Amino acid sequence: MSQLEIKNLNAGIAGQSILKDFSLTVPKGEVHALMGPNGTGKSTLAKVLAGHEDYEVESGSVLMDGEEILGKEPDEVARDGLFLAFQYPLEIPGVSIANFIRAALQARQEDGEKFDAPAYYRRLYEKMNILQIDKKFSARSVNEGFSGGEKKRCEILQMSMLEPSYCVMDETDSGLDIDALKIVANGVNLMRGPDRGILVITHYQRLLDYIVPDKVHVMYEGRIVHSGEKELALELEEKGYDWVRDELATTAS
Amino acid sequence: MNTEATAVQTAPGVGDSASFERHLSLSALPESWKNWKKEYWEKYEELPFPRTRDEHWRFASRIDFDLSGFQLAEDASDDTIEEVLSRSNLVAERSGQIVFVDNQLVSEEAIPEELAARGVVFLPLAEAVTKHPELVERYLFQESTDLGSDKFHALHNAYSESGYLLYVPDNVEIDAPFAVYHWHAAPGAALFPHILVVGGRNSRFSVVDAQQSLFEDRTGFSCAVGNVFAEDGAKIYRRTIQNFNNRMVSFQLDTNNVDRDTAVRGINLNLGSRRARFENEVRINGAGADVKLYSLTVAENDQEFDQRTLQIHNAPNAVSDLLYKNALMDHSRTIFSGLIKVAKDAQQTDAYQTNRNLLLNDTAQANSLPGLEIEANDVKCSHGATTGQLDRDELFYFLQRGIPKRIAQQLMVFGFFEEVIEQFDNEELEENLRGLIQAKFEKKQLDAVTPKMETT
Amino acid sequence: MSQTDAIDIDREKGNFRFDVKYEYDAGTGLSEETIDYISKAKDEEQWINDFRKRALKVFERLPMPTHWATKDLENIVFENIRYYLSQGQMPSRSWDDVPDEVKETFERLGIPEQERKFLAGVEAQFDSEAAYSRMQDSLEDEGVIFVGSSEGLKKYPHIFKKYFGKVIPTNDNKFSALNSAVFSGGSFIYVPPGVKLKQPLQAYFRINAESFGQFERTLIIADEGAEVTYMEGCTAPKFETSTLHSAVVELVALKGAKIQYITVQNWSNNVFNLVTKRAWAEEGAEVKWIDCNIGSRLTMKYPGVVLKGRKARGEVISIALANDGQHQDTGAKMVHQADDTTSNIISKSISVGKGRSTYRGLVHMPDHLKGCKNNTECDALLINTNSRTDTYPAINVQGNGNSVQHEASVSKVSAEQIFYMMQRGLSEGEAMSLAVNGFVNDLVRQFPMEYSVELKRLIDMEMEGSVG
Repeated sequence: MSQLEIKNLNAGIAGQSILKDFSLTVPKGEVHALMGPNGTGKSTLAKVLAGHEDYEVESGSVLMDGEEILGKEPDEVARDGLFLAFQYPLEIPGVSIANFIRAALQARQEDGEKFDAPAYYRRLYEKMNILQIDKKFSARSVNEGFSGGEKKRCEILQMSMLEPSYCVMDETDSGLDIDALKIVANGVNLMRGPDRGILVITHYQRLLDYIVPDKVHVMYEGRIVHSGEKELALELEEKGYDWVRDELATTAS
Repeated sequence: MNTEATAVQTAPGVGDSASFERHLSLSALPESWKNWKKEYWEKYEELPFPRTRDEHWRFASRIDFDLSGFQLAEDASDDTIEEVLSRSNLVAERSGQIVFVDNQLVSEEAIPEELAARGVVFLPLAEAVTKHPELVERYLFQESTDLGSDKFHALHNAYSESGYLLYVPDNVEIDAPFAVYHWHAAPGAALFPHILVVGGRNSRFSVVDAQQSLFEDRTGFSCAVGNVFAEDGAKIYRRTIQNFNNRMVSFQLDTNNVDRDTAVRGINLNLGSRRARFENEVRINGAGADVKLYSLTVAENDQEFDQRTLQIHNAPNAVSDLLYKNALMDHSRTIFSGLIKVAKDAQQTDAYQTNRNLLLNDTAQANSLPGLEIEANDVKCSHGATTGQLDRDELFYFLQRGIPKRIAQQLMVFGFFEEVIEQFDNEELEENLRGLIQAKFEKKQLDAVTPKMETT
Repeated sequence: MSQTDAIDIDREKGNFRFDVKYEYDAGTGLSEETIDYISKAKDEEQWINDFRKRALKVFERLPMPTHWATKDLENIVFENIRYYLSQGQMPSRSWDDVPDEVKETFERLGIPEQERKFLAGVEAQFDSEAAYSRMQDSLEDEGVIFVGSSEGLKKYPHIFKKYFGKVIPTNDNKFSALNSAVFSGGSFIYVPPGVKLKQPLQAYFRINAESFGQFERTLIIADEGAEVTYMEGCTAPKFETSTLHSAVVELVALKGAKIQYITVQNWSNNVFNLVTKRAWAEEGAEVKWIDCNIGSRLTMKYPGVVLKGRKARGEVISIALANDGQHQDTGAKMVHQADDTTSNIISKSISVGKGRSTYRGLVHMPDHLKGCKNNTECDALLINTNSRTDTYPAINVQGNGNSVQHEASVSKVSAEQIFYMMQRGLSEGEAMSLAVNGFVNDLVRQFPMEYSVELKRLIDMEMEGSVG
């Protein structure tokens, strides 16, 4: 039961179906990579899992530790333990990183529970240190004026502070230079453990040199067409996505 | 309290000549000032009430100009005074404090010896007129308004004797702000606060004016006039908080005369009144001046905030920058009408004007009239006005972090405010003001977000 | 400048006139008699005569709008103006039948040539009436109607009467009332459902007589799914006395229709050009005003779109150039009346010498609407120290998910840019012309090719002598 289980999911946006009978299971303790060409529905999957209201679910189910999360409000899903690292993190003017994460943590507290501010800041600075984020950033508005790398590190910072059960990382490597990529990967690796399942969505194999996955899935036109060990990513890198397409064409004919 | 209320209701309103005659006969002011008063009263009677089709009143709702329900209040009770003094607490670290209730002076805190010795004057007007007649003669009632409320300006001058003079001589620099409270307490009270701030050459100081109501359920009328004079090189920061109750009708008619190389800042937090009209005029008369104007308005229920601004550049090489932000809830309305005027010889002017309106409910209404009149060519001038809602993608980002919608919306709204609030540049004050704003959001349902993007 | 010759011809392009013997002349001044004279000359039905007389009363009642507009309006002397001058009411269908002096006028302006090259139809108005009107036969077969206002009301009342005076009511403003009282000429166009005109229709307005007022009236109806582009040009000789041009233009774009209305206004500097232009856009319809004002003494013109149907779209693209003695007071109005409507306004103005350009805008989104958007950009360029510009937008927003964005800026041509070009060997004047053309380039490109070339040349001419 300790798994994120996506079963026969059909979903889309603005009347256009994108996910077609999509199924995938990520157990706790494992890191799965989901690879695929642009426009194949990877980001749609991330948004649907997180409960974005603009996306329409036609059928299927998503069980998180056995409990259905489709149909829940996005904040409920988040508090239940699903974290989405955004491909394009939003800029929130006037709301500091410290206040933002604090609000998120407070939302997870029981009614009447007191928030331990000094402990919070100790922990925040510790995590910032690991991710090589300057302490001063905690007072800056969330993502406002950040570089691409800073935004992604800020996502990982939030993830490590909120300690979710399942992480969905949407193209976290996009827009990162190699140094930033290593820092981000290190942050993610520190979060690996028996109590957490991680789904890394990426277009390129490069990130997987640093976050070594337990399983690799290849997505094409809204469904998974290949699953395998980490070597699959290398094979895909070598042969390119055309290989997937050609292979599918052969199977179909 | 009851007897007070009855007594007030039988008296004629401040727009009635009987009221003015009575006021004049009771006034203890010098003859010269009384003669001014008579002139202004005549002017008040001559001038027509503004009409909504006047350009300066465009988009304003039909205003109820009936002043018969508003009278000069009797002296406040000891209980009221005690209450007012205990609540005059926005600024602890200060250079001096004066408190008025319904025009009546109730507290005057002496300024530090050292400042007095250097010639700083911080006095209620009635006292300043006898102690510093030369300053009063030079600056008092020298200003007019060009933004539409000249009739109310005349009414103010006819009645006003409450208010203060703050004069900081050449080269005197003061860190802690001066604080002044203008309280409204009695039912139907008419207030006429006069604010006169003069900064000598290369002086530096700041002042906080707070206009508040002691009771939430009492009507009232306030017509304030604020005149700032900044001589060469002066650095003046004037902060104003308008937090009357939602039954008040208020006017605030401000001017800023700014000389060479000055740095003048003005910031307004507008929370209260049923109808609040704010006129703010900046006249840049000396080269190299740098003026910044900020305003934050939070409107709820059926409040209407009507803001008219004028940035006049009469001298070259000066900068003026204006940022007015409005957040609107329920059926509230805001009007921002701003004009930048650059005169023929005011080359190398940088003048900007930004109005941002955040609609938090579908029924709120924001109006913008940003204007430019430019007669010099070597200038950088721009204005921008936007009106919109909380961004749905930003909201989703909050939700995905597990933050409930209500809290997320509040955080976003306060994020929108922060750009202005931080300009108060005084942590204690900022904290107090956030508290005042927070109170307006209790029990509010915010429903407006940007619509979903249509993919084509 | 290297192309001085070509430019000199253009500069004086409209500045010539022929003495014409008018068969019909209502004389100077405006009264009920003037209106009766016009109605009689046109052999109008009684309801039109009544409409005119009611309009005259409104015109007399309404004050000059000088509480917001320029006091220069007070220099118009209505009793000195001639309100109707013509040589007959029926336009010729062939240039051969057009009286010689009139034909020569339009030949010098290049109209017959343009018609041959790229137009689907042409109407050439000389003072009060069209002298020539012709549309491709194939369009006639498809049911397209392209006639003058009198003919339109007389022959096709079932089509035009429904919208005539409805988009712009008589009492909209003083000058729409004046036009309603004495209108003559203009184009009445009807494009049947689904008919899409590939080439533009064009009207050319020529004032030839001194102390004259031209009051054409245009009504274009594009039925469901129809598409039409209409272009208008205008010139007048330079007279000592002032001349008045006051048109009313109403556009109706029914469901899914598209109308594009292009104006290149190049009146001489003694013309008061006070024009009311407005469109209705029904569901999914698109109306685009492309408006370029270079001539006239005072132009006051704020093309508008009333967005009446869901997903309707309105656009105003405006270029204004004000030189010495000119005031271009232009702008746009966008009135949103249905959900998911969008509007876009882009205005660029250039003030040269003592010229003054003014932008006035109105964007209105009331509370019962949702999903409406407006974007407005106005940029002003000031060339000389005495040049002047004003910007007066009015924005009024309420409702569910409606948003408005307005940006305006004022700047001058950067000295470094001019220096850079001069270092490459251009004269200061040429550099300035290039910079100014660059400033409006993205908008000029929205005009049809033939017009955009003409526009660039006009701008070059206006920039001549602006430096040094």
